[in-house]
Order: sequence, then structure tokens, then C-alpha cells
Amino acid sequence: MENTSYLSIQDILVTNEKVPCKFLHDLPKMGFLDPSATEEDLKAGTHLDIPLWLAESLYSRRPPLISVELPKIYKESYREILGADACTVDMHKLGKYFYEMGCYVAKHDIKGEVSATLMNTFRQRFRMLLSASVSNDSISSMQPLSESERVQAAAAATTERALAMWLQRGESPLTAANMVANHRKRKRAEMEML
Amino acid sequence: MFAEKVIELLKESERNPDTIDQFNDDKIRQILEEMDLLFKMNMNDANATTENRSLWTTVQVRHSALERNKRCLLAYLCSRMNKIKTLRWEFGSILPADIRELLSDEEYEWFSKYSTNLASYMRSLGQDIGYSGIDLTENLKPPKSLYIEVLCVLDYGKLELEDGDVIMLKKNSRHFLPTSECQTLIRQGVLKQIT
Repeated sequence: MENTSYLSIQDILVTNEKVPCKFLHDLPKMGFLDPSATEEDLKAGTHLDIPLWLAESLYSRRPPLISVELPKIYKESYREILGADACTVDMHKLGKYFYEMGCYVAKHDIKGEVSATLMNTFRQRFRMLLSASVSNDSISSMQPLSESERVQAAAAATTERALAMWLQRGESPLTAANMVANHRKRKRAEMEML
Repeated sequence: MFAEKVIELLKESERNPDTIDQFNDDKIRQILEEMDLLFKMNMNDANATTENRSLWTTVQVRHSALERNKRCLLAYLCSRMNKIKTLRWEFGSILPADIRELLSDEEYEWFSKYSTNLASYMRSLGQDIGYSGIDLTENLKPPKSLYIEVLCVLDYGKLELEDGDVIMLKKNSRHFLPTSECQTLIRQGVLKQIT
């Protein structure tokens, strides 16, 4: 998969999201990780939200230094809401990287229900996204989308526009290159600010 | 918390996926300082682990942070490299001055080398069948007609055509030109096709 590559900025931003964890061992001098702690050392048994990349790396040590718990959107109560109607959920607020993050935390779910929820949610929401992008006026009326859904929606809109243009004229005029056009737009915006 | 500066750096460049930003020298220096500090602390504690075994876990945590910082920095440089590659295809082998100053010295050197490589590759194409190379940056879309009507968007100056004619490209002037001669200028945003 492209977005799990070592150099993918997308994946880096996903793994920057926080997950709740329980520390299984004492960590000397790491007290600053817990903002409410006063001691210099981090004690075993502390519950703390740490970034996913740190959690992944500590979990993969032998023996694991932490145990990872599920973030709240993947918990039972939210899974029920998503199961009832995934299309009404504000994805931007609840989980900007719902699917990508889900792929990471699914393995920490003992019952294995998270992966089923991910599939189900995607199926429901993708249908909504697809029908909204062909009718091209209802995208703004949808619930806020998660980050990857935004990319899909934008791609759908560009393709739709290109197809409409091609059907109308049967040709595509030569245009300025993407980066050139954007650079110029940005320069103009900077000029206006001055 | 670890590796926060580097995330700021990445978010900054992710915000403008279609344009290139100023190379952020200052922030990179700060991140390298953070990594240096982490490394020194780790060295100290790693030497002390013979007396105190529990320090080992701390070393591991810091080591993860180091690796994370490294990954993020590499990702930043890599995403910029891809953008610079696009610059060569879209702006041509000579960058406008305002873009040139957005690149660091090393990046500009890379750009020049890439440009030379690409040029010598394009020259080598088709030599065995008697052509003297093909310009791959031309005809990115199938050409529809030999001549097209174009509008000049900015004051460009003189342009010499293949048949020897010299035309003056002034802002808002209209021309009827061979497609092969003006498509590069269209891509560079000097001309605009009128349909």
C-alpha cells in the first residue's frame, strides 16, 4: 500500500495521532511524558495518551513496554453508532484519519470487531461519497469528511469536471502546468496582502 | 514531547501540496539539535546501564524518538525532491528567479544535475534510427491541430520561430502560431490558448 511507505507524509501524520496506553514497566527519567506527574520517573501502571508511532515502537519491544488500548471512536459505544448509520457521523471531528488509524489499532482489539466496523463504515460512506460526487452539488451538504475521504471527493470532482468538458467539446485545450499556475496564484495572493 | 517540531515542518509543506515553499533551514537546524541532545543523553544512559538495568527502557524510548525524527526529516526532503522534479518538467531547465530562491543550495545543485541527466537522455533517444533526440516535455497531450490561436498573458519579449520570423510577445496580444512552437510557452504560463 502506498500510504504506509517509510517516506509517506500522510502516514507520518496518521502515526502522530494519540492513543491511550498503559505502561507495564518503570521508565526512569521519562516523567515528562505525563504532564500531570511530578516525579522524574514514569511508574508502571500509568495510563497515558502517547503518539501512535511511539506506542507502536514500544509495543514491539520484547517484552512489550506498554499495552495499547483502543481510542474511543473504536470502542463499543461508537461502533454501535457507526453500525447504525455511518453517514451521519462527523468524521472530521471524531477521527481525521479514521480508516488509516483503524488499520493500526485493529490488531490491539482482542475480539477483532474493529476491522469489521472499518469495512462496514467504509462501505456505507463510500456509497454516499460516490453518489454525491456524480451529482456534484451535494458534496458540501455531506457530513464533514475524514482526510482520506476528502482526497477521494476532490479526485472525483476533478474527474467529473474533466469528463464533462471532454463530452462537451471533444478536446482538451492546452493549459498552463499545475505548479506554474499555483505558483502564480500564490504570488498574486501575497501581492494583495502587502 | 518528542518530535513535535518535525511535525510542524511536515504540516507546513503538506498544506501546499501544489507549490514549493522556502527551504526551512532554521527549523531543520532545531530538529538536528534536538536529535543531537537525545543522542548524547542516550550515550550517557547506555554507559550507565551496567549498574542500573532499568535505564535500558529509557534508552529504547529515546531511540524510537531518534528514529522517528530521522524518518520525518527524510520524508520532508523526499517530498521536496519530488516537487523539484516536477519543477523541471513544468518550468523548464531555467527556473525563474523567485522560484530559484526557494531552494537550498544543495537542492539547486540536484536540480541542475537532474536537468542535465534528463537532457542527455532525451538527446540520446532515437539516435539509432537517425533522429537527434526527442523532447519528452513536449506534446504531453495529443496535438489536435497544427496551428492554434493564443493570447499572450505577460510581456515576454521576442520569440524567433523555426522559419526565421521574429514575433514580439506583448501582454494581451493575440497570435496564430504553430502548436509545436508555443506549447512550451503555454505550459510555462506565458501564453494562453483561446478556444
